[in-house]
Amino acid sequence: MTESAHRAASTSSAQPAIAERLSEIVGPPHVLFRPSELLVYNSDGLPGYRRQPRLAVFPGSRDEAVAVVRSLAEEGLPFVPRGAGTGLSGGALADDIVVVGMHRLKKIISLDVENRRATVEPGVVNLRLNRHVAPLGLLYAPDPSSESACTIGGNVAENAGGPHCLKYGVTSNHVLALTVVLPSGEVVELGSKVGERDGYDLRGAFIGSEGCFGLALDITVKLTPRPQTVRTLLADFMSVDAAAHVTSAVIASGIVPAALEFMDGPTIRVVEDSIYAAGYPRDAEAILLIELDGLEAGVSADLESVRRICLDGGARNVRVARDDAERTKLWQGRKKAFGAMGRLAPHLIVQDAVIPRTKLPEILATIHSISEKYGVLVCNVFHAGDGNLHPNIAYSADDPAESERVHKAMTEIMRACIAAGGSITGEHGVGLDKMGYMESIFSESSLNAMCELRTVFDPERRSNPGKVVPIHACKEWQAVPAGRVDLSTPRALQAEPPRPVAQ
Amino acid sequence: MSTESIASAIRDAARSQTPLRVTGRSTWLDAGRPVRADQRLSMRDDTGVVAYVPGDLTLTVRAGTTLSEIETATREHGQWLPLDPYGSPDGTIGATLATASAGPLSSSFGQARDLVLGVEFVTGRGEVVRGGGKVVKNVAGFDLSRLITGSWGTLGVITEVTLRLYALPKVDRTFSISLSGGERETASLLRAVIMSPLSPFALVLLNRRAARAVGSGDDAVALIRFGGNESMVSAEAAALAQVASPREVESDVWQRLRGFDDGAATVVRISSLPRQFPGVSARILADDDPETRMCIDPRRGLLRLAVGETSDVDANACDDRPADISGSVETIFEKLRPDVWKDVAPSAISDPLSQGIKRAYDPHNILNPGILGDLS
Repeated sequence: MTESAHRAASTSSAQPAIAERLSEIVGPPHVLFRPSELLVYNSDGLPGYRRQPRLAVFPGSRDEAVAVVRSLAEEGLPFVPRGAGTGLSGGALADDIVVVGMHRLKKIISLDVENRRATVEPGVVNLRLNRHVAPLGLLYAPDPSSESACTIGGNVAENAGGPHCLKYGVTSNHVLALTVVLPSGEVVELGSKVGERDGYDLRGAFIGSEGCFGLALDITVKLTPRPQTVRTLLADFMSVDAAAHVTSAVIASGIVPAALEFMDGPTIRVVEDSIYAAGYPRDAEAILLIELDGLEAGVSADLESVRRICLDGGARNVRVARDDAERTKLWQGRKKAFGAMGRLAPHLIVQDAVIPRTKLPEILATIHSISEKYGVLVCNVFHAGDGNLHPNIAYSADDPAESERVHKAMTEIMRACIAAGGSITGEHGVGLDKMGYMESIFSESSLNAMCELRTVFDPERRSNPGKVVPIHACKEWQAVPAGRVDLSTPRALQAEPPRPVAQ
Repeated sequence: MSTESIASAIRDAARSQTPLRVTGRSTWLDAGRPVRADQRLSMRDDTGVVAYVPGDLTLTVRAGTTLSEIETATREHGQWLPLDPYGSPDGTIGATLATASAGPLSSSFGQARDLVLGVEFVTGRGEVVRGGGKVVKNVAGFDLSRLITGSWGTLGVITEVTLRLYALPKVDRTFSISLSGGERETASLLRAVIMSPLSPFALVLLNRRAARAVGSGDDAVALIRFGGNESMVSAEAAALAQVASPREVESDVWQRLRGFDDGAATVVRISSLPRQFPGVSARILADDDPETRMCIDPRRGLLRLAVGETSDVDANACDDRPADISGSVETIFEKLRPDVWKDVAPSAISDPLSQGIKRAYDPHNILNPGILGDLS
């Protein structure tokens, strides 16, 4: 088929052959194939990228999910796993292939308070799990800013982080075991629900594989006792540099805050103008939001040390939240900061580079000069304690000239972070967005080793094709380039009769 | 020694299909399944700090660097790598990570793989691969660091690692509680400690035999280590005194505990759900098996057994889990008599995914062949 004929066939609204078979499994309302119905699935949390899927299917149970994956395997069809679609790296974009949405699998399967663990389906929303376990004095530690919408399955795929990962660690530190359906349709258990296991850490390899290794069907997570005391402190500064130096000083002091977040002046003012206004000082050039938790006695002493470090480092004012209501408000402004940016322009590009923490003052100065060079407004709101930057620029993706300046500025910022010895992503994943940078931090043989690992989980590379590792870095894949698949090919039409609907 | 010279040695071995026994300083060669190898590839001369910026709390070292060298280098800056595996402090960091070894601190600071930020390793084809990086948070690419940690040198030879460090606590105190009071008293004490908001750095229980071996007296004991700022540790010590009669001891007991299984012919780790550990531990300690050294980490849900000074151990002795642990358990064998492995635990990599990864990374099966089991 010629390229144009291929495009014509694949963008038609005719029902793809596989749709009927998938409808038999999940029920017709849960299979979408008309372009208008699929519009909502043509993007994720990454702005400026659109990819139109050919079909979307939403299994409603574990058995349905397995049957869907097996059907796709039998037809040799590539697919993209999708949780809530909040990802910021384009990992859930499906270019003319199938989307397998997992958000209907939202049962909390079991909760074991004494052993502090829970087994959940992948579509359980992060915050819902936390609300469920909070009355029991427990919490699920990873808390991405999208916690009110993102799913645990998506968190596993991205190895998601969040502000409190500074002390508690990222998703991989909190997942004990997984049941996974491999792209072949085979179901395997990774890790152990009861104890420690020897052999290769397949659980660890799967977490953060960005949907390239298969789909999680259930996830057993570790729950953490809620700390006895939580104190949140807001320090404001008249210079970005002073706040950056204080960040380094707090880390170097050996105190491990539960969270240490940074917001610069432009971010503060956008948040304060929005419905998420948190009472941050509007005239400050930077604020640090520092949270300490643990036993009352230890927290009080650390709070005093941190307050001293802030004041010695030039903080104008240090305020400690008096109660939970004030604490929640301070955090609301931080967690909804990206949302508040919507006031500035229709699109927002967010970077996720990580730098060594001592390089923070230097890199923030570099980012400032890059923003001036390109005439763009960079807002900085990020996990300073980890050195995980989130420079973001509000812009209009529909203005080609502005888009070009924004992308040039972002590229230059990324190059500076790589040159400082950093990483291209701390928690958002590589996806589509950062694939172009993989070769600047990994050698050809390292990328090839990643391709080989992926091939073991997905020999036909049908699960989330074209993401994370650039195809041309994969030696054995070069011979057979990944292409679009026409879902109405004769092969799919000649499919076996559908199997009985799984209950 | 450089990565390139190691890669070159491995390429030579791959060409001639020569199996290699990969070692650090050879302090723990009797662990793991027997290896069929003609040549030894030792990392002991590949030592030294590559990069250390104390303000970043990260350290990059060559794989042959010993744990005690790391301790010395970091202590100078008031920092430490909170990883206290059993065995000699002269063991190398490369071998520690390759075997995913960890000790009592792991219930607070995480397992070996949680402290690794990045690795460089050489595959069985002699290719130099890096996973992770040098920063404390990183999701770029698939997680090769976790994959390599605990792979016992069978997927690649670790040449360099970047580690997450912590500041040394301002105060670090250890208390010993005698568990001579019998089963019921021990169980209720353990429940009180585990359910309290206390957050010790480490908490282990030793049976009489193990307590004697580490010089902690003649009774079964609980050892509890508190670290943090002055007021926190004081508060924790005071809270502990509310539920038990703790006696403060020198912190070098933890150093002695690392030699817990010295000379043992059989070492086994049994793990299960933490909930049942207070009861199970109390029963095990009350029973007092005079032949077996036992160290229990009730928060991690782990029982570690070291049996026998000689090799006349009955294979069945180590196959039997203590009858008290109910439900499913995971058993990891560290040391067994060479001839019993094939009956007790023939392979830890028998599943198709593990076999596939082994074939991809070491297609000639020349890296520590057999130590985790064979290719089918």
